[in-house]
Amino acid sequence: MKALKILLILLLLGGASAATVMYSGIVNVAADEPHSDIVYWLLEETREASIKKSAQHIKVPDLESPELLLMGGADYEYMCSSCHLKPGLEESDMSIGLYPQPPNLGISHETHQHGTDEELARQNFWVIKHGIKASGMPAWGKTHSDERIWAMVAFIKRLPTLTPEQYQVLTAID
Amino acid sequence: MKTNFIKTVGKIALILVPAITLSMNASAHDPKMHAKKAEKADCSKMDHSKMDMKDPVAVAMMKKCMKQSKSSMEKMDHSKMKEMDHSKMKGMDHSKMEKKENKKANSDDHQNH
Ligand code: HEC
Repeated sequence: MKALKILLILLLLGGASAATVMYSGIVNVAADEPHSDIVYWLLEETREASIKKSAQHIKVPDLESPELLLMGGADYEYMCSSCHLKPGLEESDMSIGLYPQPPNLGISHETHQHGTDEELARQNFWVIKHGIKASGMPAWGKTHSDERIWAMVAFIKRLPTLTPEQYQVLTAID
Repeated sequence: MKTNFIKTVGKIALILVPAITLSMNASAHDPKMHAKKAEKADCSKMDHSKMDMKDPVAVAMMKKCMKQSKSSMEKMDHSKMKEMDHSKMKGMDHSKMEKKENKKANSDDHQNH
């Protein structure tokens, strides 16, 4: 009984302090003001764990086809390059202004450990299809077929190896 | 108490940061980004001798350029081409084109070369 009372009081206090923080306006939501290290860490770990778990059973098709590269290239140029950049484009309004910052998919992130090629492919597929809450990353699965999303996964896989000239040809409109 | 605070901040940020960032997109102002639309593939810089035809990227580039040259040929108005002087057409350097002796073995659509 006593424990229950203490629990209730704690709950009430917790709720009250949460409400205070919410409505006092002391939380700065400006995108040009980075999270504190601890909040950033919290969000990043949560995101990584979520993507890993959600993507783990996705079956990865063969991504080594020229047709996929062409399909994905045109879509990438049109829908993604403004945020995720491309060979020859190091920054854009979006890449600078968004927070969290969209990663530059034109360079490979060896330091960023995502596991094997296959794991990376299925995680990228999941992210493109479902988007990421609380970031600028949209859920493209609402408006695009799985095939087109896999095509973009295939294209992104080769993107860091492309020269600006190769990129231009692959992504041009017919 | 402290962790509660942090979690709350996290949750608030989770909702409000995207709202703010997304609405910021309205101010993307680099005119260069809007200017170029539906660009044609620039196939002039392709060096076939350096292309590995086992690489999907190289094959994809070939496909794109062949498709494009085909569709632009179809759009040409041949009735207006009486004055074409073929001797003045350079640019095509056949010596640089890869010659495949065994045409039959080369079964993908390269026959147009
Ligand atoms: C409005 C900007 C915006 C657009 C447009 C956009 N993204 Fe994103 N994307 C983001 C942001 C921001 C993140 C990072 C989210 C985070 O860190 O929580 C992201 C993350 C990603 C990731 C995860 C990268 C990683 O290593 O974690 C992939 C893959 C991705 N986007 C692919 C795409 C593709 C493909 C398209 C086009 C169909 C696209 N994005 C369009 C903003 C954008």
